[in-house]
Amino acid sequence: MDTQWPRYEVFKQDRPGEPHESIGTVHAVDAEMALQNGRDLFARRPKCHSLWVARADAITSKTAEQLAAKELATDNSWQADIDPQAPTETYLVFQKQTERRGMTFTTHVGEVEASSPVHALQQAIAIFPAEQVFVWWVCPASAVTRSEEADTLPMFAPAQDKLYRLPNQYRTVFTMQKIKRGKDVIE
Amino acid sequence: MYGQETDPDYPTKLAEFEARIARGEKIEPGDWMPERYRKQLVRMISQHAHSEVVGMLPEGAWITRAPNLRRKQVLLAKVQDEAGHGQYLYHAAETLGATREEMLQALLTGQAKYSSIFNYPTVTWSDMGAIGWLVDGAAIMNQTMLAQCSYGPYSRAMVRICAEEGFHKKQGQEMIIQYAQGTPEQKAMAQDSINRFWWPTLMMFGPHDSASTNSDELTRWGIKTKSNDQLRQEFVNELVPLLHALGLEVPDPDLRYDEESGNWISGEINWNEFWQVVKGNGPMNAARLQARQEAHDNGRWVREALAAYAERDV
Repeated sequence: MDTQWPRYEVFKQDRPGEPHESIGTVHAVDAEMALQNGRDLFARRPKCHSLWVARADAITSKTAEQLAAKELATDNSWQADIDPQAPTETYLVFQKQTERRGMTFTTHVGEVEASSPVHALQQAIAIFPAEQVFVWWVCPASAVTRSEEADTLPMFAPAQDKLYRLPNQYRTVFTMQKIKRGKDVIE
Repeated sequence: MYGQETDPDYPTKLAEFEARIARGEKIEPGDWMPERYRKQLVRMISQHAHSEVVGMLPEGAWITRAPNLRRKQVLLAKVQDEAGHGQYLYHAAETLGATREEMLQALLTGQAKYSSIFNYPTVTWSDMGAIGWLVDGAAIMNQTMLAQCSYGPYSRAMVRICAEEGFHKKQGQEMIIQYAQGTPEQKAMAQDSINRFWWPTLMMFGPHDSASTNSDELTRWGIKTKSNDQLRQEFVNELVPLLHALGLEVPDPDLRYDEESGNWISGEINWNEFWQVVKGNGPMNAARLQARQEAHDNGRWVREALAAYAERDV
């Protein structure tokens, strides 16, 4: 038996007050396991204060290219999806804001109240304008599971002490310079 | 969103796609891309992921035999990182429609390729140093290039991996430096490791540019921005002076310094050996595959238990 478990997007917050950023996915049977796997995969080094996970299929993603194509479409599906009477819920909004090389994808920018993913996307575009957004994500808040404040220490503190995982703990460049100058180096 | 050449709009869309890449934009999941681009990326990324996973084996074998607690902690952390890198990469391939299950199946049935370097045995402790410094050092050169590639998820995985590989390379270099300065036995052990890993490391960069079939397309679509031979030359230029400074020899009688270009020119690589190992006839191909299959089988009860837990009534 080999089942392909659902994918969860993982969002990481480096320090309190900073936004959560999407960093990749894990497979897990449920959200609790996704948080654990997220910790093992993305918090092996110092600098993690909180993790969120959400089923990948709960997230609606649109790239700038997809949005532009939608505007040009002759059909009305972009508008037709929204029922003003429908009950609303809270959606989290994420943006990819830069093409600069980095290890994170979308960044959490805030919340909107909406009745559907398309409605949430429209609200997000109206409420969180930015000079350039390359990718938009919206996700119902109810689909997000968050590590708790009380978990911060047991989940993330062990990585703090593992300084040997950091390249700056190895003085290879300095040592090679000394050797080249003709000095014996016994560490 | 995956463009087929039979689509009448294909040429227009392809031109827009190539213009985006030329402007330095990243292609993200959901964007239009040629089916060929998707296929090439799935091939490269999954091979890369498999390499990380199989790459745990040669070093994992030495964890219990590390000479002291610090070296053991470091090696354990490094092997754990390789497992993580495999996961980052499988994730990147999944954004292109590949499933983790089919990729793992391809690995376990021996259909998928992975880096040939891991089909060489690790016979002494200082092989851990040689792998860190040479093999991870060579991987970083390739990965630093791929961190600039046009596909967003692959690029981000590479940035993260490069940051972590810096530790892998340096812990290996630290070891070789120490053993080169140590007792005659230690120095001989380090030299022996370099002797065995030097040529297979040069082969890691792949065939000569003149014999590399995929390069043109990969370059045009911003996946590869440097050629195999370019990267190999950068590696040789970096390593040779450092090894010499440590009093270690490079096992290449034809190696020479070219004043004009400032390059260290290697002798000819044994391509027959390279292709033999790629085809499955390397010293450890069968053992690596068997170890992966056993690990997969031995983990079956864990997967079953987790699936049963997920099915429970709550």
